[in-house]
Amino acid sequence: MAHELLNGLSPAEVDLVLALGNRMTVPSGASLFRLGDPADRLFLTERGRIRLTLPMQVRGHEEEILIEEKTPGQTVGWSALIPPYRFTLSASAPIETELIALPREALQRYFETVPAVGYKVTSNLALVVGHRLQLVQAMWLREMQRSVELRSA
Amino acid sequence: MDMLLMGLCISVFGIAVACLAFGAATRPVASRHRVQPELPAVKPEAPARFFADRVTPAIPPQPHVPIEVLLQQIENHIRLEQAAAESFVAFPTQALLHSKTASPFMN
Repeated sequence: MAHELLNGLSPAEVDLVLALGNRMTVPSGASLFRLGDPADRLFLTERGRIRLTLPMQVRGHEEEILIEEKTPGQTVGWSALIPPYRFTLSASAPIETELIALPREALQRYFETVPAVGYKVTSNLALVVGHRLQLVQAMWLREMQRSVELRSA
Repeated sequence: MDMLLMGLCISVFGIAVACLAFGAATRPVASRHRVQPELPAVKPEAPARFFADRVTPAIPPQPHVPIEVLLQQIENHIRLEQAAAESFVAFPTQALLHSKTASPFMN
């Protein structure tokens, strides 16, 4: 399994990073983390799917609305590496899903020991975060455009 | 003489009473109503509207769809918007940024 976060690392480096984590299985329908929870682990998706959601008021009820879905190879929970280390979305598994959980402290210690690996991983993380930012920016502008059109109609 | 004056007074009084009674009997109906205090005209109340001076959505109000259907529409809308945003990020042009959505949630 190729992980976007570990692009550019040698197979030996990949093995060393993965050895810092624990393999875990999230049962179908179970929650992985909730919005606002402390983020002390980063997750690499191995199998299955993770739904990232945000709460929205729909007809007076709070509903979890899908924002993004993560598939094998993708990274979940990068808030674990970015202060204030709190999850800004909720995550759950619509089907049984296998992940590798990488504790922040273990990762940071390893990156201090091997800065070259730390540089590559954080560069990959910047790509993940940057891509999300670009998507959200485009989606926000499209919504704003609709609001402007409604206002001037 | 006294009797004559008394008779004259009674006659004048009688004529006056007769005139008042005639006047009251022949007064038009409309003028009688005018005496009544007029009630303030009650305007039919407009239905309460919030932000009435703001934007009136061009989207026609949807029939009351079940919550599950509505949530599905929202989810599909987000997927379509994300796909549109992905296309824009892959090849940024103004046309792609403002491409119209086919989402039933907005149409």
